Amino acid sequence: MDNALALEMAGIRKNFGSFRALDDASLDVRWGEVHAILGENGAGKSSLMNVAAGLYSPDGGLLRINGQACDLTGPRDAMARSVGMIHQHFKLVKRFSAVQNVLLANPRGSYRQGLAEIGREINKHAKALGFDLDLHRPVGLLSVAEQQRVEIIKTLVAGARILILDEPTAVLTDEEGAKLLRTISDLAQRGAAIVLVTHKLRDVQTFADRVTVMRGGRTIATLNRGTSSDELATLAVGTKIVAPQRGDGKPGVERLIVRDLHDESSDQSRLRQVTFTVRSGEIYGIAGVGGNGQTELADILSGSRAPSSGHVEAVLPGGARVDLSSGNPRRRIDFGFAAVPADRQGQAIASSVSIVDNYAIAHVHTGRFGPWWRFKRAAAREATSVALRDADVQGVRSASQRVGLLSGGNAQKLVMAREFSRAPKIIIVHSPSRGLDVRACAAIHRRLLNAREEGVAVVLISEDLDEILSLSDRIGVMTAGRIVAEFDASGDRQAIGRAMVGHV
Amino acid sequence: MPVWARALVSLAAVMFGLAVSAIILALAGVAPSSLVTEFGSTLADPESLKAVLSQSVPLILVGIAASVAFRARFWNLGLEGQMIMGGIAAAAISIHQVGAESIRIELMALAAMFAGIAWIALPMALKYLLRINEIIATLLLNYIAQYALYDLLFGAWKDPTDSFPHSGPFSAAERLPVIGDWLQSGLLVALLVVAATFWLLQISRAGFYLRFIYANATMAHRMGVPTGRIVAIAVLASGAIAGLAGFVIPSGIEGRLTQGYFEGYGFSGVLIAFLAQNNPLSASVVAILVAILFVVGQSLQIFYQIPFSMVQLIQAIIVMCVAGADFFVRHRLILQR
Repeated sequence: MDNALALEMAGIRKNFGSFRALDDASLDVRWGEVHAILGENGAGKSSLMNVAAGLYSPDGGLLRINGQACDLTGPRDAMARSVGMIHQHFKLVKRFSAVQNVLLANPRGSYRQGLAEIGREINKHAKALGFDLDLHRPVGLLSVAEQQRVEIIKTLVAGARILILDEPTAVLTDEEGAKLLRTISDLAQRGAAIVLVTHKLRDVQTFADRVTVMRGGRTIATLNRGTSSDELATLAVGTKIVAPQRGDGKPGVERLIVRDLHDESSDQSRLRQVTFTVRSGEIYGIAGVGGNGQTELADILSGSRAPSSGHVEAVLPGGARVDLSSGNPRRRIDFGFAAVPADRQGQAIASSVSIVDNYAIAHVHTGRFGPWWRFKRAAAREATSVALRDADVQGVRSASQRVGLLSGGNAQKLVMAREFSRAPKIIIVHSPSRGLDVRACAAIHRRLLNAREEGVAVVLISEDLDEILSLSDRIGVMTAGRIVAEFDASGDRQAIGRAMVGHV
Repeated sequence: MPVWARALVSLAAVMFGLAVSAIILALAGVAPSSLVTEFGSTLADPESLKAVLSQSVPLILVGIAASVAFRARFWNLGLEGQMIMGGIAAAAISIHQVGAESIRIELMALAAMFAGIAWIALPMALKYLLRINEIIATLLLNYIAQYALYDLLFGAWKDPTDSFPHSGPFSAAERLPVIGDWLQSGLLVALLVVAATFWLLQISRAGFYLRFIYANATMAHRMGVPTGRIVAIAVLASGAIAGLAGFVIPSGIEGRLTQGYFEGYGFSGVLIAFLAQNNPLSASVVAILVAILFVVGQSLQIFYQIPFSMVQLIQAIIVMCVAGADFFVRHRLILQR
């Protein structure tokens, strides 16, 4: 390729109203290299790439593709200049087959001709990359890793020579992620320019030739391969973050007993004979790739759904056992359960309702905030401000503002504060730090470890293996709706990874 | 957008809607100057004011009935049917001389409320047990109620003295009295309902829970809120208040059960709830404004031969303008060269 840089961006500015998404951001990508963009959530990495892909038009700055300055009019313009983007949330029509999806993005002549032609081109690319794709199944039925491959092929068929991948390994297991990144390196070796947007240090270390660190909408530094993780992390966050350490646990009696849980409700992820116990003062981590029954299990444990068969028992202090198998959130709450669901917007908060109300709802039924004929908002407001202070929730101009205005991390801190204010004996957390930056993540982890010290039995369901390994005392691996293996805290990461894809 | 700015936008929208209506009326033969004099004379003339107050009672009630149901996301379009059944129940008490005369009118009011509750209970059960859309169920029950009314008025309850399809006149004890010279006691009923609804929605624990059910029913359920019970309270209250509206018109205004006393109130009730954003206090204010519109419409009908449906047209135009003005709340205008 020529000496020109594949992609060159300098001094890019982008505002959304008063919010500065990009403030003097720059990037240069050479042909044949894998260039990573590292940064926290909100650092501006996706925004910068959306500018390169023609989805945003910058308010200022310079964009050069293969040496030519351009003012992109939209994604088609970018595609015409060989820029292809694979988004974090795939742009695929679930009911269409792979061939139809690729044809949709790359129109060719008539439909029938197009299908045949695209089919041939897809096969050519797939063979070159070593992919094995079923081209005619509806993509909605393919695994996430396979869907991602369809996305990659879609851009290659469009003639992309500059590929931008936005958080590609977020939805993959360790093994699938490694396979993807090998493919990417392969493409780079053949001359393509690859931009890898990620917040995972390990991916950067292993596969990037160079890394650009972004923070607060700015480019902080561009470093070569070999920079230490510590240095990268400090640059990305701005300060040193100390991850909370898990001390030796003091597990007590059994608190939660789950036996032979069956759930037939959804086709994709049936629960089959799920059995495990959790003791007080212990964190039981359930690892596994998303979509293997974790959501169904979390729903059943928190009481919003009843299982088809099986038992969920809580052991009260004093030894009495209560069977809580039938779904009833109220009963769960009365017996000391708390739950932090994965879908925060949909299940943990009511966005249009105030912060005070979202906190107070946990206690209203006890009469703490007034009798049934009068809700005492003043008392609720006081309790809420204490809780907000203790949990270090930022971004609260007034406790009466809608909770939807809080950032993800702060909303999650509020949810955790609310659930823990019930003084639960058993707490179910599902993907608690998904989408949160390192600082908020550390705060959440600290809270969970504190709960463990206080004798709470914690069930931690997460797709982030790092999180599971750093917090759990015992680990259960969930695949295809069953707990296929259990490990102790010292479990071997490779073994756990193998269990996750079904090779026990 | 801050609250005061949003209120201004809504107000501007209402003004715009009125302006558009004035243009339409001008095209129909009513000069704008005459419109202004009509409005003016309505507000100045004590007889017209009495008519406005009297007209606002059922409007306040249906406006609140709609608001309460909407707060539970139960789209109660059966206000007219509930009004009809309320009127029928009240008239039944009168015709069959149930209870002593001293408590007859209270019994009529109670019967009307129970009838409204019964008439909304069926679509409520259909929605929550069988997932049948309540918009259709309540709407269709309106027709059933209407024909039940006609059946009674043309048949068993036809006034024997003049053979018109209306019931015999209610006795004095069965009519809502006028206190002093102008105070419709119906207005006191309406104020009581406003206060009760305000308490239910803003002060009570049920109202607190209802806000969550409206915002995110899944989350409310997970928090242990007894969603079924709370929604039932709101929906049945809506039916009761609409039933009561069906009582105040025959008993307070017309003095007998007639064929068409309920017409137009379903539409108006929903519009009032929308413009008031389901708030009972705002709903009473909006209802009074709509009552003014009704009274002006009646005189337009008499003096300018404008059909009464023009009033509904004006209401609809105002609602469209207010709904359209939502665009300016959600979007910011940036002028770029």
